[in-house]
Amino acid sequence: MEVRHALRRGTHVALTIIFALFGLMLAMQFRSRPEVTGPLLQYQRTEELAALLKRTEEERDKLREEVATLREQLSDIRSVEDQVRVLQEELAKAMVLAGLTEVRGPGISLTVSDSTAPGQVGQDPNLFVVHDKDLLEIVNEVFAAGAEAVSINGQRIVATTEITCAGNTIMINGVRQAPPFKILAIGDPATLEGGLKMRGGLIDNLTFWKLEVKLTTEEEVVIPAYSGPLTFKYAKPVKKEAK
Amino acid sequence: MWYLLAGLLAGVLVGLNLPWKVPAVLARYMAVGILAGVDTSLGGLRASLEGEFDIVIFATGFFGNMLLSAGFVYVGDMLGIELYLAAVVALGVRMFNNMGRIRRLLLREAQKGAK
Repeated sequence: MEVRHALRRGTHVALTIIFALFGLMLAMQFRSRPEVTGPLLQYQRTEELAALLKRTEEERDKLREEVATLREQLSDIRSVEDQVRVLQEELAKAMVLAGLTEVRGPGISLTVSDSTAPGQVGQDPNLFVVHDKDLLEIVNEVFAAGAEAVSINGQRIVATTEITCAGNTIMINGVRQAPPFKILAIGDPATLEGGLKMRGGLIDNLTFWKLEVKLTTEEEVVIPAYSGPLTFKYAKPVKKEAK
Repeated sequence: MWYLLAGLLAGVLVGLNLPWKVPAVLARYMAVGILAGVDTSLGGLRASLEGEFDIVIFATGFFGNMLLSAGFVYVGDMLGIELYLAAVVALGVRMFNNMGRIRRLLLREAQKGAK
């Protein structure tokens, strides 16, 4: 055959090497292929992450239960010791401040929910739902109006509380919340109401976007204690040195 | 021809048993490079059927086309356009051309043999 004619001795070696290299590339590419064009790679990843999230949340719930039981034990021990009654009073005060006790008092109840008005074509539906920023502004406003304790859907707002967007829900104290959001605040009801109902203020703004807002003053609201974790991993208290 | 297949087989066996994989980032470069390799092989087969095969031309073509098409992928990535498609299309067209020539050469050979 002509093919054989064309090939001299040295070319055999060269061709064999080249083809060996080629085969190597083919095989390696074939093996790496599923990584690149595997079926629905993105969805797989989402599912994996969702599973991971679920597992982590379960773990967290378990730990939260543990925190509750340990805290109970701790309060038992506390009540036993009589000598530290004074300290306990201090502690109780600090706990009220820190939001670790259930508190009651006059205040307001504000319920905010997504707009139920039918959306118009071309309107951004994002404008008609309650966002984390709205809740942040409300919390800020009631504290500015002198609120002493605030909770959203039973989550006490404390120093470490975050209010953040988590997909179509809002994360507060690491717990996901969905509308309607019920905000309770203890303070002077008239001042609180005034702060929120101010002309051009928060409620004006929210109703402009057709969000459902219901504000009532209450003679007594009960705000639950903060139930999240309390340990600090990084922050350490600075000890004041004796002068 | 057997040593070509032997080389290919040896390469495949080594490739299948190597412990590491091609990183996902480089997989596209590899794919286009393989396409260039297939194209050059077909070109080589055609040249040998025409009696014009030259190992230097073949070897430079093999590696040169591979680097060129990988370069296309790289430049395309830099520019944010899928420039490697140009390499894929060009190589695809060439493969069909070569296949057509090979087919014709083989048919002619077969007719000659039949006479």
